[in-house]
Amino acid sequence: MRKALDRIYLAAGSLSAICILAICVIVTMQVVFNLMTKILGTQFAYTIPSYADFAGFLLAAASFLALSYTLKHDGHIRVTLFRDMLHGKLGRFVEVCTLLLCAAAAAFMTYAMTGFIMESIEYGDVSTGIIPIPLWIPQSTLLLGLTLFTIALIDNAVGAILGKTDAGPIDKIEEEQHDV
Amino acid sequence: MSELFMIAILVGALFTMLAMGMWVGFALTLTGALGMVMFTSAPLAPILATTFWGNSHSWALAALPLFILMGEILLRSRLSEDMFTGLTPWLGKVPGKLLHVNILGCAIFAAVSGSSAATAATIGKMSVPELQKRGYPDSLILGTLAGSATLGLLIPPSIILIVYGVSTEQSIARLFIAGILPGIMLVGMFAAYIAVIALWKPEIFPKEELNFSFVEKLRASKRLIPVLALIVGVIGSIYAGIASPTDAAAVGVVLSLVLAWSSGSLSWDMFKQSAMSATITSCMIAFILVGAAFLTVSMGFTGIPRNLASWIDTLNLGPWALLAALTVFFVVLGCFLDGISVVVLTTAIIMPMIDAAGIDPLWFGIYLVIVVEMSQITPPVGFNLFVIQGLTGYNIFKIAKAALPFFVLLLVAVVLITTFPQIVTALPNLMRG
Repeated sequence: MRKALDRIYLAAGSLSAICILAICVIVTMQVVFNLMTKILGTQFAYTIPSYADFAGFLLAAASFLALSYTLKHDGHIRVTLFRDMLHGKLGRFVEVCTLLLCAAAAAFMTYAMTGFIMESIEYGDVSTGIIPIPLWIPQSTLLLGLTLFTIALIDNAVGAILGKTDAGPIDKIEEEQHDV
Repeated sequence: MSELFMIAILVGALFTMLAMGMWVGFALTLTGALGMVMFTSAPLAPILATTFWGNSHSWALAALPLFILMGEILLRSRLSEDMFTGLTPWLGKVPGKLLHVNILGCAIFAAVSGSSAATAATIGKMSVPELQKRGYPDSLILGTLAGSATLGLLIPPSIILIVYGVSTEQSIARLFIAGILPGIMLVGMFAAYIAVIALWKPEIFPKEELNFSFVEKLRASKRLIPVLALIVGVIGSIYAGIASPTDAAAVGVVLSLVLAWSSGSLSWDMFKQSAMSATITSCMIAFILVGAAFLTVSMGFTGIPRNLASWIDTLNLGPWALLAALTVFFVVLGCFLDGISVVVLTTAIIMPMIDAAGIDPLWFGIYLVIVVEMSQITPPVGFNLFVIQGLTGYNIFKIAKAALPFFVLLLVAVVLITTFPQIVTALPNLMRG
């Protein structure tokens, strides 16, 4: 169970990284095409159809699919200064409450996203670019990401209730300290 | 229901959740949800989902993960090792000598990484032991490091300016360009401060002779020059209107990979580390951004920011008094929250006030970033102070005291850009398009 869950978070995180790299490839290709047009003349003009749309959808997928992976890496920002002042049982109680509240919130976000996508399908919403993409397809990545996020938060809450200390990072990615 | 009561409940809820150690993205979303459920009849779930979707797939925001990835790759390509050896020969004759390595090193590195904590950690790891060994005074080593590392927030490509641009619908390209002159001005002010101290009290500086020929200088910095060229190229292409920030960021990633490959530091493991680390950072920021976007929408429904703005308007404060009050507010807020959270909270609540006061939102973005920089080195909880404490093991108050002159210099910079807003607006106004 533990291993299976960690593997899912890692897979979702890796998929996010691939999305970011894909944005990079698409945008770079378009820049190269633009350069070619400038140098060789307009008969060589070529635009990747709907490339801005695709970049946007990949970005949304990258942001949401990585939610659970980022959580497991302790990458989301929180202020632990005050909670750390609470010791022993009280501190643990506050932590469990926070986790349960967040898990409930994530579950609600998942529910809201499901309803939103059902509507997208019902009304047949498509993107406005050259290639009309049914919007439920990119929107589903948000739903998947939020579902995994909910699972990961419940996972953490159960861990905190049982009093397990953190199992450590799920892979060997070292992070920079980020405050930005 | 009275306005004050609404504000008290929402602010109370937000800060309780933050103090409990709740993730900022959740705290913002839940505060928004609370406001919407308690004080409006708007349907919660559809608005939440629409806002999350609408604010997560924009073309402009795609620049964010790309610039982060570019920074991650460059950070891992021995850049920091080259910084000291590359800059040292050029600074031997300047009053204050190698202390300027801290300032310039941080400025260059900040442009690359966009994070002030990463800048302080990476530059400090290398420069603090080296400068101590050479006998420079501790207070100035720590002060220059703490102060200059905050430049990362302002010098483009800046992550925090992307966040501000996306959440206030300002042009990211113009914000980047607006950050250039204030950034250079701050580097100049920091360097001038060190030079003045060096001329005034030469006895506290080590007497070392540093003589290098021009060829030696070039050779020492040969690996630094391509990185500088990359940054100048990225910013230059945005300024000239050739590329959007997203275009420039994508090409920047590719070129930073080429640089890493040519310096022999590119490996599969390094690439994987960079990509995954960038994924984590951009996910963290994106989550805060959608949470803040939802809070903004919810606040729009409650009408609080609008009413707050008209209330402030009736006080007839004038821009100076308003900015003074906001500066104090932001510095205090920044003591407890990270820069991005401060920025997104501002945009959710304070932007209507800024509009009502007739303050240029482009200028306000730069102002906000400098104030957030100040908060990074405000005792007792400025983030940079912690990083340097971890690095050197000194007491946090010793570091804060060393950083104080730089805090004051940042404050002077805020006064300068308020008196002469052209420092911020001149370059963007010259831009094409």
